[in-house]
Amino acid sequence: MNSIVDNTIFADLHKKEDWLYTNVSGLSNISFCENGDVDPSIISKYDIAVNNPLVVFVNGIYEEEYSRLSDGLSINDPNFETISNRSDSEIPVGKSNSLSITGTQKDTVHILQIVSGDAPVACFGNVNICAQKDESISVAETHVAITDFDHLFMPKTEVVAKENSNVTLVRAIRGSKEAYHLGSLHVVQHESSKVQTNTITLGGKRVRNEVFAYLDGENCVSNFDGMYMLGKNQLVDNHLRVEHNKPNCDSREFYKGVLDENAKSVFTGRIYVKEDAQQTDAKQTNQNILLSNDADATSRPQLEIYADDVACTHGATTGEIDDEALLYLQTRGIPAEAARTLLIYAFLNESLDELADETFREVLVEELLSNLPGGEFIKALYL
Amino acid sequence: MTTPLLEIKNLHASVEGTEILKGVNLTVLPGEVHSIMGPNGSGKSTLSSVIAGHEAYDVTEGSIMFNGIDLLELEADQRACAGVFLAFQYPIEIPGVSTKFFLKAAVNAIRKYRGQDELDAMDFLDLVEEKAKSVNLNIELLDRNVNQGFSGGEKKRAEVFQMALLDPLLGVLDETDSGLDIDALKIVAEGVNKLRSPERGFVVITHYQRLLDYIIPDFVHVLMDGQIVKSGDKSLALVLEEKGYAAFKPCGCSCGC
Ligand SMILES: Nc1ncnc2c1ncn2[C@@H]1O[C@H](COP(=O)(O)OP(=O)(O)O)[C@@H](O)[C@H]1O
Ligand SMILES: [Mg+2]
Repeated sequence: MNSIVDNTIFADLHKKEDWLYTNVSGLSNISFCENGDVDPSIISKYDIAVNNPLVVFVNGIYEEEYSRLSDGLSINDPNFETISNRSDSEIPVGKSNSLSITGTQKDTVHILQIVSGDAPVACFGNVNICAQKDESISVAETHVAITDFDHLFMPKTEVVAKENSNVTLVRAIRGSKEAYHLGSLHVVQHESSKVQTNTITLGGKRVRNEVFAYLDGENCVSNFDGMYMLGKNQLVDNHLRVEHNKPNCDSREFYKGVLDENAKSVFTGRIYVKEDAQQTDAKQTNQNILLSNDADATSRPQLEIYADDVACTHGATTGEIDDEALLYLQTRGIPAEAARTLLIYAFLNESLDELADETFREVLVEELLSNLPGGEFIKALYL
Repeated sequence: MTTPLLEIKNLHASVEGTEILKGVNLTVLPGEVHSIMGPNGSGKSTLSSVIAGHEAYDVTEGSIMFNGIDLLELEADQRACAGVFLAFQYPIEIPGVSTKFFLKAAVNAIRKYRGQDELDAMDFLDLVEEKAKSVNLNIELLDRNVNQGFSGGEKKRAEVFQMALLDPLLGVLDETDSGLDIDALKIVAEGVNKLRSPERGFVVITHYQRLLDYIIPDFVHVLMDGQIVKSGDKSLALVLEEKGYAAFKPCGCSCGC
């Protein structure tokens, strides 16, 4: 037993059905500490929207000096409405500073959560978003790990969307090669609310992104989108459960990824439709492109439907880059490497389409392309 | 003596171990238009794919020289830059890739290779407008993803438009006429005729004589079972129209041999 986190629970987690493909037992042998400093230059590097509100956490500790709070943002607010009474996650919940966000936030609130240390670090993240009636909130979380040591980051974000409110949330994960990233997102929606989330995984050794959503009012719209691009020794496990408790709600899960070398992806999408949640429209899509024979993608749709007048669809595809499309681009003079990158970009970009904030979108695209051979060529076109 | 634009000698090509081209010979001089006709499955698209540089086809014997260089040594994109253009029989749809961005990349890759300055956005759009007009192509199509949601005719016209834009030395048109009504066919043919010049050559692959009323070829070749079995002038197309391909089988019979 560790002082920060009870890491004995990780030893056998993969024996549970919900963790079948994601073995994090390595965590149980690591002795974690919680210390760590961060170089201010790192913060300015990731402070990509200097005119927007910014909230910085380093190893779960709020950094007032670097943050720019706007109205509606508060730190460690004990009275803020939370939804933790519905906990479905096996991921431990722990002590850390918390951020609460309410009130209309037109300028995307940027939350920068940095994990840093010259020894193995374990820490938590706590963000609570509550959009009151008719409010509109835009949030972007950037999770960065700057350490060569094994580390464990457990960011938890809650979203409560009241009647007719609108919440958009981007979570971009840039864990280091040694990152265990076990994140969860808990969403409760009331009547006629709209929630759009994009979970983007661009790094980490074992990344688990959980989404638990409760559609508790009629006419909700819920889009849970995701994108990932991973390579050597990396695994991402997107695990979603969307509960339709009221009629006339539309939910969508749209996850796309590109896997190179021996990267692995697991997608589990459970849709639960309660008896009286008639006219539910639930769509689930997981598409993967494998760039190597050693890469692997597993998709598990799980439908649990108790209403009779519903439309639930799921589709999973796994393929390679389309050789005919590649040839077509090449016969127009575009070099093979750039043509491949263009096709990968085109594939992934579709899952960024709904990303509302242009600044964050551009940074993500820039980063995507920087990681791809021939990316400079495409950047010159699009950026 | 002029250097041939295209000189194919004893070309054998196979796909997945099956030989499809069985010794093709063809010489195209600058300024010439050659038509290749042949029944379905005779290897027309295979020939155009091999010229364009499709990697699924293995060249097992023979050579292709283009303007004095060994074409088989070049990757598909280098061939395009050197001046080879293939208008595909079935232009592929590429979701997520904007036609305009893609063509700007293409034009500039080719200009760079040829030692010309890259075009900026304004000059590029001017060029696009001019060339789109030459084939009556609705310029709004170019805001879509590559070939996505194009009608059959629009796809074919877009191929000829791309050819005009990329300004090749050799244009290979693979059944650009099939699926077009007579008006669309005239537009496509006119687009091609505008590009005819003393330096440029064309290989026009077609299944029907009809196209050759509008693009008048200097030579007509009959391709059957991976070989050119007969060559002649444009009157050969009329003979084909009348008698069908069976008359050109090496054995002269109408069986499947
Ligand atoms: N990629 C391929 N894989 C397998 N067979 C092919 C492939 N391409 C062409 N073929 C075969 O080669 C022969 C010639 O095809 P093709 O060149 O498309 O003929 P055409 O264009 O004259 O109709 C056909 O029998 C076809 O089935
Ligand atoms: Mg063909």
